[in-house]
Amino acid sequence: MPTESDTPLKLSKKKIALAAAALTFLGLITGCSSSDEQASDVTELTIYSGRSEEYIAPFFAQWEAQSGIKLNIRYGDSAELSAQILEEGSNSPADLFLSQDAGSLGAIADAGLFMALPADVAAQIPANYVAANRNWVGITARTRVFAYSPDRLKTLPISVTDLTKPEYKNQIGIAPTNASFQAFLTAMIQSKGRDFAKSWLEGIKANGPKIYLKNSAIVEAIDKGEINIGLVNHYYVWEVSESLGRPVKAKIGFFAPGDVGNLINVSGAGVLATSKKQKAAQDLINYFTSATTQQKFVTDTHEYSLFVGAAAPTDLPALDKVGAPSVDLAILKEVKTTQELLIEVGLL
Amino acid sequence: MVTTTPNATHNWPAAHTSSQRAWRVGLNVAVGVVAALSLIPFIYLLVRASDKPFSEISALLLRTKTLEVLTTTALLVTCVVVITLTLGVAIASGLHFVALPFRRLLIIPTVLPLAIPSYVFTYTWVALIPSFSGFAAAVFILSLSTIPYIILATLAGLRSVDGSQIEVARSLGLNYRQTFTRVIWPQIKGHVSAGALLVGLYTMSDFGAVSLLNVETLTVTIQNMYRASYDRSAAAVISFVLIAFSILFVFGDEAIKRRSAKGQIVKTFSVKNSLIRKNYLRVSITAVILIFTIIAVIIPFYVLFSRFFSNPVPIDYTDLARATFATISVAAVGALIALLLSAPIGLLLSGKMTKFGQISNKIIVIGHALPGVVVGLALVSVGSKLGPLYQTTLLLAFAYALLFLAKSVISMSSSLARVPSGVKDVAATLGMNPWSVVRKVIAPIAAPGIGVGTILVFLTAMKELPATLMLRPTGFETLATNIWSAGSINRFNEAAPYALILVLVAAIPTFLISRPDHDDRAYIDNSAGGDK
Repeated sequence: MPTESDTPLKLSKKKIALAAAALTFLGLITGCSSSDEQASDVTELTIYSGRSEEYIAPFFAQWEAQSGIKLNIRYGDSAELSAQILEEGSNSPADLFLSQDAGSLGAIADAGLFMALPADVAAQIPANYVAANRNWVGITARTRVFAYSPDRLKTLPISVTDLTKPEYKNQIGIAPTNASFQAFLTAMIQSKGRDFAKSWLEGIKANGPKIYLKNSAIVEAIDKGEINIGLVNHYYVWEVSESLGRPVKAKIGFFAPGDVGNLINVSGAGVLATSKKQKAAQDLINYFTSATTQQKFVTDTHEYSLFVGAAAPTDLPALDKVGAPSVDLAILKEVKTTQELLIEVGLL
Repeated sequence: MVTTTPNATHNWPAAHTSSQRAWRVGLNVAVGVVAALSLIPFIYLLVRASDKPFSEISALLLRTKTLEVLTTTALLVTCVVVITLTLGVAIASGLHFVALPFRRLLIIPTVLPLAIPSYVFTYTWVALIPSFSGFAAAVFILSLSTIPYIILATLAGLRSVDGSQIEVARSLGLNYRQTFTRVIWPQIKGHVSAGALLVGLYTMSDFGAVSLLNVETLTVTIQNMYRASYDRSAAAVISFVLIAFSILFVFGDEAIKRRSAKGQIVKTFSVKNSLIRKNYLRVSITAVILIFTIIAVIIPFYVLFSRFFSNPVPIDYTDLARATFATISVAAVGALIALLLSAPIGLLLSGKMTKFGQISNKIIVIGHALPGVVVGLALVSVGSKLGPLYQTTLLLAFAYALLFLAKSVISMSSSLARVPSGVKDVAATLGMNPWSVVRKVIAPIAAPGIGVGTILVFLTAMKELPATLMLRPTGFETLATNIWSAGSINRFNEAAPYALILVLVAAIPTFLISRPDHDDRAYIDNSAGGDK
């Protein structure tokens, strides 16, 4: 054992006392962090953010400056954070959950952990991007697309079902653990049936796909030449170019109009029913859905504004021109079926 | 050791005073509490798994994917254990027996990989070779990062081998190989087996390296199922496959120990052997260590430094300092808690071997194979009901203690086993109460080994990621979470400062563990040339 190497290591009493003091100190500083303020004098909000820090932090900072309220932000994957909220249940310290997709929001709404938002919150967001019972609201839109290598991919797919064809063998990248992929698959199950989705997944699996943890990794893999095509959200090609500081060797493609592969999903937010600071959390949602912030999303993060008639991000068709399938976002919460299917097929 | 050797199974003095009886009862109660705490993740998994109807559980267990992943895991663990055993025992034996140049210094780089988290290790190699991926790459990375466990364990074993036996074997005409296989190996294989156990459990529970290299092990499947969130019960079911697999390992280790323990002689350290001066051995062992140092230490450090200096993003030094302080302080508190939790079980195991002690010990060791995400979610589930304690650094430190308790318990029980029973008996007959015996007699002898165990917990806790992500206070960043949030190889430059600081900070305790003991040094200095 490593432990038997007779290292001359003496823990002096002083050091032990010091460590004990440190322990007490840590206990003290952390013990002070919980408090229950009145709605009028909220000084802090706890946010669980499924949106990554790099692009959303400036928005949070702006609101902090405007409102004078400090945000404690817990960044993570949307699905992981919603798992954490489900595990925490009514004990969750979160006030607001900001998610990358409608599915994670729907799961929490289903568990009854979100409050119904008043009608004056996010009033300008069209009803088709808001949960029927106003448990959550959409903030920005993103479309599913395929990213591909213009140099190496010979034939562009017309439909997402084309990807099971032999000509794409060993060239595809997917991220089955990612919420946005699961949302797309949920839409497929709900619109075309479970059997259709199952055989599509089996076809993809038989086509030797490379599995990635996130969308950006897929775009990077196309850039590196690891794969030639991958299913991602529209803004990742732009995002990876930004982080690389050079144009990425990948392009965006849309499937034929109406194809389920062109699904429009939203990022959105809901306020926890157990939050003691619901008013302040709603103010934050109003900030995200204000005209100026919506425009800021289009220019700064390359996402679509949810406002009717808003301009599209650079180099992209308008939201009503992408040929999205007609899918009710409410069904995206049926992600449990999707995950069971992914497990059954062996992609999870 | 996981189980103490028979020569350690002596009783406390027969004269049972009431204070001694109270001591034993207290000890057993304390052990019970610790065992109950270590059972938290298992109970959580049972509760979650029982959400699923039996038909679904069996379907999940019997699907081809489970078998594929189990096979991958078994192959990976086997490859890593075989490679680390071969190389680790060879390197350690070389360091112990052969007159190598700069012998005292050479041990340091062989242990230094302990300071590098497996995901940082992987990042550095992928940065160097972009196509670095797949099963072989995972074997490569995991072997390099776990060899130190075998080297440290083997060295500890070799140091306890009675030199006079080697002298006798040599004078009876056995060559080096025969001496090693017939005399030395039977005495050290218990130690080596414990090292292999740690390597196996580490490989099973690793997530960073395998996920980055696209190898799907049981831990990756479990993590993926949790990432995909809503089916927590499926992840729990798969966790039991992992637990079953690790039980196999724990019992294998025990079987080896039981056999190796027979005929073991209480070491005397009476005779010191002089070092072997065969040139071919000196050259080949030095070459192996040099190559190992280059690929496992110099290259990762080189990549980290070059990324650090070529980083175009300005480094936020306050942020870096804050994360460094956070990492060190929480890991240190975690190591202290682990020390406190392992003390009762160590004391119990160093006395008379009881079934209760053995079972508690096994629970703790088996728990070591659980991925951080399982322990993390179990503590989210329990911790969120604890009100103000939830998402505090204290709960995070406790999670570290629970995750790495096995490391501390293993070192604790093996160090305490080395306290001669006679000493304890004499102290007790002289009228010392059990607590004073612990304080004045046992603690001074066992302290160095216990210190090493505590440092190992500290070291591993600093590198921990999945449980940290779930249990940290909101907004609290450690070096590891900063490295991970850079998130992709293309942004590795941004993570480099954090990775570099983490590795450098971790190198200090690693250096402390790697230093050869005083006995060894004295004997090297005294060994007077003369080829054997």
